[in-house]
Amino acid sequence: MTKISMTAIGLLFVSTTLANAHDEKALMNAPAGEPYVKVSDVLPLPEFIPGLGTLFVDPATLPAGPFLAYDRDGRLSATVYMTPLDDLQNGVSFDGLNLGSHTVSSTDVYFNAGHPGVEKPHAHVVLFHDEGAKERLAE
Amino acid sequence: MNCTRRHALWLAGGTIAVCAVTRSSGAQTVTDVKMRGSARGEKVWFDPLGLSVTPGSTVRFTNRDPGNSHTVTAYHPKYFDRKRRIPAGAEPWDSDFLLPDEYFEVTLTVPGVYDYYCLPHEMAAMVGRIVVGTPADAGWEGLSEDQTDVSDQVLAALPSVEDIIANDAITRKDGS
Repeated sequence: MTKISMTAIGLLFVSTTLANAHDEKALMNAPAGEPYVKVSDVLPLPEFIPGLGTLFVDPATLPAGPFLAYDRDGRLSATVYMTPLDDLQNGVSFDGLNLGSHTVSSTDVYFNAGHPGVEKPHAHVVLFHDEGAKERLAE
Repeated sequence: MNCTRRHALWLAGGTIAVCAVTRSSGAQTVTDVKMRGSARGEKVWFDPLGLSVTPGSTVRFTNRDPGNSHTVTAYHPKYFDRKRRIPAGAEPWDSDFLLPDEYFEVTLTVPGVYDYYCLPHEMAAMVGRIVVGTPADAGWEGLSEDQTDVSDQVLAALPSVEDIIANDAITRKDGS
């Protein structure tokens, strides 16, 4: 009986933790609530970046993110991570990063020379959350 | 040298434009340098990255990179404590961040070599060089000999003064 109770409590704890870490409903539409901020409100970057859309990030998670990418209608379309190459080369790892949504239809990984907020040359890891997301973020 | 001031104008559609509100007197030649970037930001550069102009010319730097912001900043102790790479008698400048389609103008009167960079993209060797006049001009100050304050990448990216004078403008080797 004790063993069953402990298992049940354990499962409850795990499911509660996951729900908190990935509160999908709260993030599905812009603006993402606290602790996220709109990137263009705090950094000199365009509000809508072609290819990435409108980005929100929790400043405490910089540089890796996640950056939540919304299309022009405010729909969460991608989760983006930005990992400086020299950090990776020097043994820094970025583990257990959060997700905007559990649904991922495809992933793009590419080099970026830098921009305000993440000046070092870095990789963009873009997890698209539905089939049309890339197209919607493009323009 | 007479730097322009940037002024933000909010337009009806909510877009922002920047205009120069201070100009030196008299008619001037305005030469364009564009700030560019590839679609995903893999590459960023000034176009052209080498430019030859006559003393008194105005150079307009315009951000034509829709996905990024850029600065045009002279190498000078006044800005970010950098070693001077412009003539001693010239006024240094820093445009601050320019969003897409914003621009910044600077008028260059002292003959010599001016090296500048983009603040968030110097690590990507987004730099440029302007040659004002020629070594025959009175007051000419040539290339900075300092090689300690900039990376090898930056030094390699800057075209030679001779090439710039011979060609008027130098674009990147890949033709962009």
